[in-house]
Amino acid sequence: MLEVKLHDIGEGMTEAVVIHYFVKKGDYVKADQPLVEVQTDKMVAEIPSPAEGTVLDIFVPEGQTIAVGTTLLSLQTEAVGHEQAKEQAAVTVEAEVETESEPVVSEPIGTNESKTKPQRILASPYTRKIAREHGVDLSLVKGTGPAGRITDEDVYRYVQGQQAPQTTQQEQAAQPVAPTVEHEPATVTVTKEETKEETIIPFRGRRKQIAKKMTQSLFTIPHCTHFEEIDVTELIALREELKGHGMNISATAFFIKALSLALKQFPIFNAKLDEENECIRLEKEHHFGIAVDTEDGLIVPVIKNIEKKSLRQIHEEAKALTKKALENQLSLAEMTGGTFTISNVGPLGGSIGATPIINYPEVALVAFHKTKKRPVVMENDEIAVRSMMNLSMSFDHRVADGATAVAFTNYFAKLIENPKLMLMELI
Amino acid sequence: MVVGELAHERDVVIVGGGPGGYHAAIRAAQLGLSVTLVEKEALGGVCLNKGCIPSKVFAHAAQSMTSVQHMNDMGIEWAHVAFHPGKLQQYKTKVIGQLRQGVEALCKANKIEVIKGTASFLAEDRIGVEKGDAFDVYRFRYAVIATGAALVAPAAINVDHKRVLNAYSIYGLEELPNHLIVYGSDYIALEVATSFRAFGADVSIVLESDDFVFDSSINRELQRLLKKMKVKVYKNSRITHVESEQEQVTVSLAVKEQETVSLEGSHLFVSCGLKANVDGLEIDRLGLKRTKEGFIDVNERAQTSLPHIFAVGDVTGGPALAVKAIKQGKVAAETMAGKQSEADTTFLPTIVHSIPPIASVGLTEEEAKEQYKDVRIGQFPLTGNGYASIIGQKDGFIKVISDADSEMVLGIHMMGAGAVELISSGVIGLEMVGREEDWKFPLYPHPSINEGLLEAVEALRAEAIHLPPTKQKGAVSS
Ligand SMILES: Cc1cc2nc3c(=O)[nH]c(=O)nc-3n(C[C@H](O)[C@H](O)[C@H](O)COP(=O)(O)OP(=O)(O)OC[C@H]3O[C@@H](n4cnc5c(N)ncnc54)[C@H](O)[C@@H]3O)c2cc1C
Repeated sequence: MLEVKLHDIGEGMTEAVVIHYFVKKGDYVKADQPLVEVQTDKMVAEIPSPAEGTVLDIFVPEGQTIAVGTTLLSLQTEAVGHEQAKEQAAVTVEAEVETESEPVVSEPIGTNESKTKPQRILASPYTRKIAREHGVDLSLVKGTGPAGRITDEDVYRYVQGQQAPQTTQQEQAAQPVAPTVEHEPATVTVTKEETKEETIIPFRGRRKQIAKKMTQSLFTIPHCTHFEEIDVTELIALREELKGHGMNISATAFFIKALSLALKQFPIFNAKLDEENECIRLEKEHHFGIAVDTEDGLIVPVIKNIEKKSLRQIHEEAKALTKKALENQLSLAEMTGGTFTISNVGPLGGSIGATPIINYPEVALVAFHKTKKRPVVMENDEIAVRSMMNLSMSFDHRVADGATAVAFTNYFAKLIENPKLMLMELI
Repeated sequence: MVVGELAHERDVVIVGGGPGGYHAAIRAAQLGLSVTLVEKEALGGVCLNKGCIPSKVFAHAAQSMTSVQHMNDMGIEWAHVAFHPGKLQQYKTKVIGQLRQGVEALCKANKIEVIKGTASFLAEDRIGVEKGDAFDVYRFRYAVIATGAALVAPAAINVDHKRVLNAYSIYGLEELPNHLIVYGSDYIALEVATSFRAFGADVSIVLESDDFVFDSSINRELQRLLKKMKVKVYKNSRITHVESEQEQVTVSLAVKEQETVSLEGSHLFVSCGLKANVDGLEIDRLGLKRTKEGFIDVNERAQTSLPHIFAVGDVTGGPALAVKAIKQGKVAAETMAGKQSEADTTFLPTIVHSIPPIASVGLTEEEAKEQYKDVRIGQFPLTGNGYASIIGQKDGFIKVISDADSEMVLGIHMMGAGAVELISSGVIGLEMVGREEDWKFPLYPHPSINEGLLEAVEALRAEAIHLPPTKQKGAVSS
């Protein structure tokens, strides 16, 4: 018998939460097959099986927090005696030093290639890289390309959770036979989970992807956030006036346009840091991601080339993309390629400030909060009732400094507080 | 021994400066990590000092020998042709020296600290390096084990490196054997056999199995060519005893485990098994997981069971080739630097610098038929290739195997001039999941051996131009 323990998965981690078992009691598992998913305060990790065998028992229920060294489950391995002791030593770091075993000699050179050839993955190296970068196991992705080839889009679709997994890992584990091409329908997993008593929210698909992106961003980018208060009274008046002409342009459209104008002055916030080549690349085009809250979680459609678009175009496109996002109909092209992101949480009410996480690898993100009438001391020292809105801007402190960010939001504020100034920027 | 008090802090410590180790070192340095490389002998490892490079120096010289006759045919004549093994040794030493200096210069240019010494693990984050009387301790964030593997001869054979030689010592010979007995069926054995035959030695090959290890068509052609070269092949034969004397070796063979045959030669070469170089590394105190054969177990990112410790190359088992060591070395470094990287040997090209050379990638005909319902075979002999005629190397062929259903190409096997260079076109195509048309559509340089690959793909549908219809029908297999 072999005990699988929570070993030190690095970064000074001492404990972890058991998120999900991929296997159940009695399942047959191959070496390196993922057994259980655990989450630390820093990352989600899969613990692979140290050996081939059958799951004897599971000791820790899902959801429980355990310390490093705790036994998670036990395996009945095929190996006997000495072999077993050896494997056990391999799993437990603290295990005693093993006595020298007989040197085992492999087949002559050239013939010692593994006999069990892995099933061929029908994807080009480029597509495989995309899959790796999204943590996708390609053997679970259905290829829609020529002759069943897995395309870039198939991978992205899988990441978005739009493709039902063909086989869950549990089912795979339950079939020790060579993998066949036919797969069970995905419904099996769903029912399995519904029968459980507590409510379980699967941490997969979009939720997991969001988690991954956020973690990546926060761990890569030293975030710096500052807040600003903006008087939107004039903007509201202008919008009313336009409505009189039968044109209903959203405040978001104005914000986007004004931000784009500000980016022309401060292109550093529309950039990418290329650490490998030790340079910062300023992007010429302004592609704005708009954070949309959907049932499945956050999604960020992108409006391309704001710098070339009119307020009306921006308004229409934002509306159309938001609708598609809510209906889960965005194409891949509509979700990628952003250079800057905004999040308008104002309409949700409530929030007066936030420390938003930058949409990696972009450099900055601006969130707009609730607009509220407030007494404001005007330049002539009189108090007036004005419509005020807060904004929060997070930026990559490796790329830019606070003073530049404040200058940027000041420029933006000036345009919004005097929307007619935007006329000056008409091309 | 003086034990250093303070540990030196490094991002990465690499043990072993063979292809696996030095590729890991340079890539890690390129990605901004501070790197220390510990090597107890010479940078370049087995590959540069005793393996790939020496063997290919010999293969190249042998190939040149065989072209002498051809040169004569073209009017380039010598009064007298002679081969001086001693001079070839000097040439070998020069090439190795130049290449090693190149590696040393690259390490320096990448600010890699190279230490000559023997390393062993003290803890999960500490390594000790013994150099002479000094003992230094290094603390690392990541470590790479690239210590290679050692040759292990079959139990019945005592390798004395004089008359009985292994893959390292055979290329140190200063004299030409009269009669060399080659025991083994792998690529090294074949290179040894054909190189020494070309230099003029008598050569016999003893195979334990009933054939070589390639696609059946290559095995067949190989036998024909060996016969033409007057190399005798003993099949299903196991060496049970070796008698090494002053001037000769006498080998006892058990043929089909029944009759015993005695064979005399001046030298015996033995192909060996491999054993991971882990003695003295103290990895068992870390509990690193090992394979059944004792190699260090790694995943596709070259991580051991301790994810911050990597192992690459021959010490990890599997195909013992520098190609694999190089890839794993880079993948290990990239993984440390936070990149998503992967080593996958599914389409690892197998090459033999024999005369003529052999190269292959993907499934053999036999494997393809096991895995696919309907398999197409296209084969094109180099006799039909114009450039092969020009250079006077018409032996060999190119064979392509595809899945009749999807037209996906499954394997490519070549024997003949240019095979080793040309196989890359096959490797890239297979990695791109190419189908027949993906090879037929592109233009191929003319005249060149490349065209042979095109015609082999065309032959899948009996469309090769330089092959009569009858020959092509014969090539299509059910
Ligand atoms: C005759 C011959 C021909 C070959 N031809 C080819 C070919 O054509 N193509 C091909 O791809 N492959 C070929 N190979 C195989 C190739 O040489 C190996 O696969 C390759 O060298 C493996 O590289 P490596 O980095 O894993 O280890 P090695 O090259 O073996 O290097 C390991 C290094 O680690 C050092 N070391 C070990 N332990 C310690 C320690 N404790 N401390 C410090 N240093 C240590 C050793 O001194 C050595 O330099 C050939 C091999 C032979 C013998």
